Amino acid sequence: MYLRQTHDRVFESNRAWAAEQTAKDPEFFAKLAAGQNPEYLWIGCSDSRIPAEQITGLAPGDAFVHRNIANLVCNTDLNAMSVIDYAVTHLEVKHIVVCGHYGCGGVKAAMTAKDLGILNPWLRNIRDVYRLHEKELNAIKGEDERYNRLVELNVIEQCRNVIKTATVQQSYAKNKFPIVHGWVFGFHDGLLKDLNIDFEGVLHDIQKIYNLTD
Amino acid sequence: MSQDQDSFLYALSSNNAWAGYKAHQNPNFFSKLASGQTPQILWLGCSDSRCPETTILGLQPGDVFVHRNIANIISPTDINTSAVIEYAVVHLKVKHVVLCGHSACGGAAAALGDTRVGGVLDTWLTPLKALRHAHAEELDAIKDNGVRAVKIAELNVEAGVKVLMANYSIQDAIEERGLEVHGCLFDIASGRIKDLGFGTKGGRGIGANGAGENVVKGKHAQLVFRGGNASMTVR
Repeated sequence: MYLRQTHDRVFESNRAWAAEQTAKDPEFFAKLAAGQNPEYLWIGCSDSRIPAEQITGLAPGDAFVHRNIANLVCNTDLNAMSVIDYAVTHLEVKHIVVCGHYGCGGVKAAMTAKDLGILNPWLRNIRDVYRLHEKELNAIKGEDERYNRLVELNVIEQCRNVIKTATVQQSYAKNKFPIVHGWVFGFHDGLLKDLNIDFEGVLHDIQKIYNLTD
Repeated sequence: MSQDQDSFLYALSSNNAWAGYKAHQNPNFFSKLASGQTPQILWLGCSDSRCPETTILGLQPGDVFVHRNIANIISPTDINTSAVIEYAVVHLKVKHVVLCGHSACGGAAAALGDTRVGGVLDTWLTPLKALRHAHAEELDAIKDNGVRAVKIAELNVEAGVKVLMANYSIQDAIEERGLEVHGCLFDIASGRIKDLGFGTKGGRGIGANGAGENVVKGKHAQLVFRGGNASMTVR
């Protein structure tokens, strides 16, 4: 009986939602079915607590989304690279957001002295981030604080990896977009923290070695 | 440029409003989230902006572990997807793996066309192209472009489910604790998810006979597979 009732309620609220969308914009579903024109590419963690659209209040059609363990962007990963290619070249997104989160299980797992099988090659990238910032991280006394800083540094490194791609460099040279941002989500207050990455500065710095524009 | 900046600031200010609203609704919401995650569902879907999994399932933060890539392609040698599956199945012990394709998929359209997409995309889309050639007769017989795109999306889900079923971690979890694997399709024009009946339930599918019903309970809502459809309700 309970199931039957809840089932009815779903369809009722779905009808109400659909009617509301249509009242606000009679073309809502027709437009949605016709194609997408998102402003954002969101590269985030698979963690169940960070549904990109809900925490940013973005509607269906607003953000193209890739989510993986610990929001990593690896040079040889064709999965994430294809997402960046499609979002930048074909959808012409204006912003790329790499969003990490404090208390990331992937980051913690990566720093554990343990053989994790198929997870090893993936999580290794986080150990590399640690090695790059070893001095700064080792100087942090509290374990939680150290992990939280590693989460931030990981986001910054992944932003750099996005900027290292030919797709992003070439599009920016031609169109002045996309701009790459690093954010961190905090569970304690549900707020996003902007790490205020200086996109132009980082791009300029990276192109000393990784320049892929003609 | 100024407009772009505005839409960017919108997302951040909207997050501020959302966090305030959630905390007002339930003062313990964020402290509970901070204590950890125990999602029951692993969602493998498309990056397409029109398929926000948690929103279309009507679920809440904490309910669905997510991987989204171009055209929800599951390649056995892709370390990115493999790492997600391993973490979700072995470490978080999710109860359901849902592979969900969708109508009007750009990746499907690319695979059905004859032009090269460029960059690394052609390499990524190779499995989809292979499906197109393997099912050329069946696909070519479909006159409507939208219907043909749905057909290849279904074939893609079927192929992806096969890859999932061949994964050792998934096989072990099915054997040891009854993990379920589902293949679904999201119809953008109607907002409905259809269970295609692939995976652990075989050809029958969850509720595909119109009588059966299967409920996946999330922390904040439940997902009901019934009569070939999936729908949700907030508890």
